[in-house]
Order: sequence, then structure tokens, then C-alpha cells
Amino acid sequence: MIITQYMREEHRHCDDVFADAEKAVIDGDFQKAEERFIAFADDTLKHFKKEEETLFPTFEEVTGNTEGPTRVMRFEHEQVRGLIGKMAGAIEKKDKDAYLSLAESMMILLQQHNMKEEQMLYAMCDRMIPQDIKEQTLEKMKAL
Amino acid sequence: MFSQGGLSLEQAPPISVVLRFFITGAAFGVLLGVYLIGSSFSSVQAFGGNTFNLIVTHILALGVMASFMLGALFQMLPVIAGVVINVPTKKAMVVHLLLVVGVLFQLFAFSKNSSFFYLFSALFLGSGLLYATPVMLKEVMSINDHSSSSKGMLFALGSFVIAIGFGLYMLLTLGGYSSGSFFTEIKEAHYSFALMGWVGLLIASISFQVVEMFYVTPKYPEVISRYFTLTVFMLLLLKTMSLMAGVGTNIIDIILALLFIAYATITLHRLYKRKRPTSDATVWFWRLGMGLLIVGMTLTLLGNIIDFSHKLQLLSYITFIGFALSIVFAMVYKIVPFLVWFHLSNQGYMEAPMMHDVIHPKKAKIHFVMHIGMLLSWLPVAFLDILIIKVVASLLLLISFAWLLYHLLDAGGKYRYTQKYCERIEW
Repeated sequence: MIITQYMREEHRHCDDVFADAEKAVIDGDFQKAEERFIAFADDTLKHFKKEEETLFPTFEEVTGNTEGPTRVMRFEHEQVRGLIGKMAGAIEKKDKDAYLSLAESMMILLQQHNMKEEQMLYAMCDRMIPQDIKEQTLEKMKAL
Repeated sequence: MFSQGGLSLEQAPPISVVLRFFITGAAFGVLLGVYLIGSSFSSVQAFGGNTFNLIVTHILALGVMASFMLGALFQMLPVIAGVVINVPTKKAMVVHLLLVVGVLFQLFAFSKNSSFFYLFSALFLGSGLLYATPVMLKEVMSINDHSSSSKGMLFALGSFVIAIGFGLYMLLTLGGYSSGSFFTEIKEAHYSFALMGWVGLLIASISFQVVEMFYVTPKYPEVISRYFTLTVFMLLLLKTMSLMAGVGTNIIDIILALLFIAYATITLHRLYKRKRPTSDATVWFWRLGMGLLIVGMTLTLLGNIIDFSHKLQLLSYITFIGFALSIVFAMVYKIVPFLVWFHLSNQGYMEAPMMHDVIHPKKAKIHFVMHIGMLLSWLPVAFLDILIIKVVASLLLLISFAWLLYHLLDAGGKYRYTQKYCERIEW
């Protein structure tokens, strides 16, 4: 389960940073909020990059399926990217209510996305990708 | 095998499927308030009598709870259990109509004690609910890799089918169409499967995913998420068999109560350990719900150990109802704003209202205060027979549901307004 374990830890890390940013907004500390939000956006986008450029192509090659789960995951990544842009705008305007409202949508969207990845997609990657290719994929993702 | 459909909110049913059930649930709540106010002014026997109890219980259990829970299931099965319900709009419409007409017939049947209405309520409720649940049950059973939530939903739906079966038998007995053997035992089993099985297990199985999803909490301990729903379901089956065999069920009731207390305590601890700092009304609804479940189950526990007064038993019912309603409200105030935003955004409406614009958290907070007030006002009703207390409690219940109904209708209105007047970008 090396894929699941590594990717799950990344999800948890992003959750932590997201929570820090949200707390800073609630406290009205927009300087800290901006710093933590940028960290969240960077980490999340980097995680997506690892999936879209390394993990998903490997999965698609092994299973021969490009129209299935990975297509849906890519679509959801686009939705998250859209929300990141809007949240950045809310932080810039120091609009607490707009930020918290967007954060609510972001959290539900991200959590259901993460759950599906952890419970299904990563588990399938761990099960279906041969061990040596899996280790190479993991190394490539770590290097990104 | 991996089902793409189960992977995405893309596969979530249209918002009308969910809203029709939620709006109906809130409307039945308003109807309950009206009925309670009317009964308050009637004779002492009317308020708290057998007919009154049947009507109140079934408006709550079927009109309110079943509506909200079927709506939630239509929405959540695709998202958290990976199940796709084909043609959901049509199926939801059929189930919804049969449920509403069936409940109304049932209320008339209880009120008039008419065998005609008993028969028709059995027909409508039976066909509506026994159409909906097997459709869902079949899909959930076909899942290969069960999560704790999907497994819990399986047992909750199984409990619902059993509760419906017993309920239909009782309706036909009351209408004079059946001899009514084991009526008292079946009645007890019916309530157990409906309350602990259907309501309790569905809430628990949904909580295994949504508490973590909405509030970013640590995972439930595996022993709870894996075995809680299975154990409760098995104990309910055992209880039914014991009832039929004429064997005492106190031990089973005590174990069931302890299990629910453990589940509620662990859920409260998850919420305490949540990573998200927000403490909106939905967090408070969850806390209150779990607190009430602990109180209700402690009363049930004590009732099985010491001789209990009828009034304290009534209090345990009120706390259980409070628990179920609190969790329903917690879910509705998250799900509805999210769905309005999500569906409109996906349809390409760039000006889709954000979650706070659909139902602002302040409105949910106001409802939370009303809900607490309503629950507190019902405590003295259990002990005192004073007109003004009954009227105030009934009025607060009516206002609480009317508040929710208004905001659900308003959310639907905002959804339609955006579709009608805002610019849409084709993806």
C-alpha cells in the first residue's frame, strides 16, 4: 500500500495547512492567512501535478483505461483549481465571509475527492500496478 | 470492480430529487406543529392519548424523518457509497408521491379508525417504501469493496424494510384485515427496527464519512466503524426472535443502549479533535444530537435496570427525537447550500451563489437557538399538564420547522433564479 500511504499523508498535510489558513481568517489575521493559503495552494497543486503527470498515466497504462476514474479525478482537480483562484481573490480583498463560504465548498469538494482516491483509486493502484513500477512511480512523484 | 459512476459528484442526482424530500420533511414538521397546537386545546385525553401518540409518532417517523432520510440517501448513495441509481428523478417522484399520500391516509386512518384508510395507507406506503428501499438495497448489496458507510447503509436499509413489513402488518391488523397474532411483540420490534435500526444506523453510517469529510476529524476507531452497524442489526434480529419466543429482552436493550452511548461519545470526541477551526451551527447540531443520544440511551439503560416511571420513558423518547432532528438539521444546512452552489457551478453559471449566499450560517445559528428552545420547552410537557406550556412547546416546534421550510424554499428559489437570469458558460 505504498501509493495509498504516501498520497494519504499528502492529503492530511494539505488539510492541516488549509485549517491553519481558515483559522487565521477567522482570527482576522489576513497576513498569516495569505501565507498559509499560498502554502495550501502550492502543496495542493503540486499534489495534483504528481497525480496528473505521473500516477494517473501509469495507472492508465497498466489498466488501459483512460476514460474511467482518472478522467473524473482530473475533472475534479479543475473544480478545485477554480475555487483556489476565487479564494485567493477573497483573501486579497480581506473578505472574511466570502473566504469562509468558499472554504466550506472547497472542504466538501476536496474531502469527498480525497476519500474516493484513498478508498478506491489509490487502493487500485496499489493492487494493480506491479511492485517495481509502483516503486519507480513513487520515486518520480517524490522527486517532483 | 471500480465504478466510474461512484467516483464523482458528477453522478449526483439533480437537486430537485433531494429538495422535494427535504421540503416535504419540513412541511410535515409544520403540519405536526399545527396538529400539536390543535390538540393542546382539546381534552386531556386527546393530548397524550393513544391516537395522539400514533399520529405524532408517524408524522415524525414517516412524514419528517423518512422524507429527509430518503432525500439524503438519493443524494449520498452515489457520492459516498459509489452506487448509481438510474433515472433518479422519476424514481424519486414516484416514491415521494406514494409516501406523501400514504402518510396522509395513515393519519386519517389513525384519526378516524377507518378500515378503508388503513387499507389504502398500507397500499400506498407499502408500494412507495417497498419500491424505494429494495432499489437502493439491491445497489448497495452489489458493492464489492464495502466502506464502513456503505455497509452501515445496508443494515439501515435492511432495518427499514423489516420495520415497513411489521408496520404494514399492524396497519392491516388495525384495519381488520389480519388476525393480529403477536401484535404487541411485532409493535415492539417495529419500533426497535425503525428507531435504532433505520434512524440510528443510517445516521451512524453517514456520520462515519461525513463527520470526517465536513469537519476534517480523525477517523473513527475501526472497531466502531466496522462492527457497530453489524452488531446493532444482529442484536435487533435477536431481540425480535426473543420477543416472538416470549423471552425477556432487557439484556439486549442494555447492550444496544451501551453501544449507542459508545458511538455517540466517540463521535463527540471526533468533533473535539477536528482540524477545522470553524464552529458553525452544524457542529453544534452534531454535538447536541450526540449529547441527546447519550441522555436518551442512558434513560433507556436505566429503564431496563430499575423500575421506571412512564414520564421518564417519555423523556427518553423526546431526547431520541431531539437527537434525530438535530442530526437532520446539521446535514441539511451543509448539504443544501453545497448542492445549490455545486450544481449551478457545474452547469456553468459563473455567478452561482456561494454556500453562504444560499443559506447563511447565521440563519442556521438562529435555527439552532430555536431548536434548543423547542427541545427545552418539551421537557416540562412530559411532567406537567398545563395548557400554556403545551401551546408554547407546540408553537416553538412549528416555528422551528417553518424556519427550515422557508430557507429550503428560498434556496430552491435562488437556484431557479440563477438558472433563469444569470449568464451560463458552455463547458
